[in-house]
Amino acid sequence: MDEQRFLEYVQSGGQVETTDRMPDDYRSKLVKFIEMHGNSELMGVLPEREWILRAPTLQRKLALTAKVQDEVGHSQLIYRVVEDLGKPREQCLADLISGKSKFHNVFHYPTKTWGDVGVIAWLVDAAAIISQKALLKCSYAPYARIMKKICWEESFHILHGRDVVLTMMNGTDEQRELVQEALNRWWGPLMQFHGNPISKEDDPMYIWRIKSQGNEEARQQFLDGYVPQIWELGLTVPDPKLRKSDDGVWEYSEPDWDELKHVVTGHGPKTQERLEFRRKFLEQEAWVRSVVLAEAA
Amino acid sequence: MSEKVQKIVEIADDELILGWRDSEWTGIAPSLEEDVAFSSIAQNEIGHARALYELAARELGTDADTLAFDRDPGEYLSAPLVEERRMDWAHTIARHFLYETADEIRLAALKDSDDAEVAGLAAKMDREEQYHRLHARMWRDRLQDEPRFVDALEELWPAAVAVLPEELRPQMSERLQLDLPSNSLLRGFERGSHSEELRPLLDEMTMVRRSVPGATW
Repeated sequence: MDEQRFLEYVQSGGQVETTDRMPDDYRSKLVKFIEMHGNSELMGVLPEREWILRAPTLQRKLALTAKVQDEVGHSQLIYRVVEDLGKPREQCLADLISGKSKFHNVFHYPTKTWGDVGVIAWLVDAAAIISQKALLKCSYAPYARIMKKICWEESFHILHGRDVVLTMMNGTDEQRELVQEALNRWWGPLMQFHGNPISKEDDPMYIWRIKSQGNEEARQQFLDGYVPQIWELGLTVPDPKLRKSDDGVWEYSEPDWDELKHVVTGHGPKTQERLEFRRKFLEQEAWVRSVVLAEAA
Repeated sequence: MSEKVQKIVEIADDELILGWRDSEWTGIAPSLEEDVAFSSIAQNEIGHARALYELAARELGTDADTLAFDRDPGEYLSAPLVEERRMDWAHTIARHFLYETADEIRLAALKDSDDAEVAGLAAKMDREEQYHRLHARMWRDRLQDEPRFVDALEELWPAAVAVLPEELRPQMSERLQLDLPSNSLLRGFERGSHSEELRPLLDEMTMVRRSVPGATW
């Protein structure tokens, strides 16, 4: 199949398997996109794992450990898909810690209070599930298939996050303040999360039908699904321009696209510290992987 | 506190503190597969602690969270073995293997308890602990020729023996074919004394809970 026919095939809803022939450009775009997803799951555990040790009840401790465990499991599944496309996991990890490959903007920021734990599990995971649900229709079938399990698990994370937030909103003034303060800090990164409003016809990931929706479509879906819930809980969204216009489209202040670019290129407030932390443990426990590999050989 | 409740709280505290320590590996274990496995073990240990605290709490007129979080450091009955922060895989696996061996002996005795509730819970825990033991033995087999693992086992042996009451210690020695440590080597590891690392663990563990007194989380 030549590139043009392949393009027509995926654009008309066709799906591709690992052993099918595929254009080099398609394969390299797939690797880049899926690897970044795997990196994001793996780096996403670092801000949350700190709070496993501070969880305020046994139930929260169990739920948060299980949630973070899910994210590690997702990165394992996702890196396997990348591996089948020709890039081994060790190489993905090496590129991650050297800063050569990227991970999502939201995982470059610090967490400051238990309010962050609720806001991340509820709203960051909500933003992520919108992107991930759209990947159920990805033209690369093995990736689309694992997304079913991932979306199923993410939907539990959202319930856990909403419950953490709801419990705090029903608590003391001080607890409500913790949630509001966390929301104020996370709103900017959340609005940047789905990317700049590039037209989907110009987005190579859409052209190859790796993604099935445009960035702005995803953001509108997020706002439509979650802003009414945020308001219902008595929280204020820190954007005076945010409103739903009569034609049903959400209007909002322009997100800071310079900040997004700066952060994902390795200059976020926690980027280097988290990469350094991951590098430290990868190096420190390298001997364990050697023992396991020697046993497998 | 009755002798029965004291025994339950001792085991609950061991499981809670060890589960807390094990969960420090969530997200940074030596491989992704091991990360998922060790997180499950941590969750099981915390789950056991919760079930045991619930049992004790009924007798003491309190609840599991209060027992787990709201005591003074000196009131915890955990063994020093589980308290120490050992963020390297050789020590983590050595402790895991030794603790699971001790726990198996302890649970076997508990399953014969005259108290049906205690015996039933011990049997339930033992079913889950079987998987921990398989996991621990797999790693012991893998690492047994690694000098850092051998050193860690030797270092932690006295503290591991001290997890058990005196009458059960000979079983531990027989099981692992290791001589019981002398009393001077056991000093500092007996239940009732605490590692210096317990207090920082409890400080971190209760940090959010203490931040807004009386709040529901």
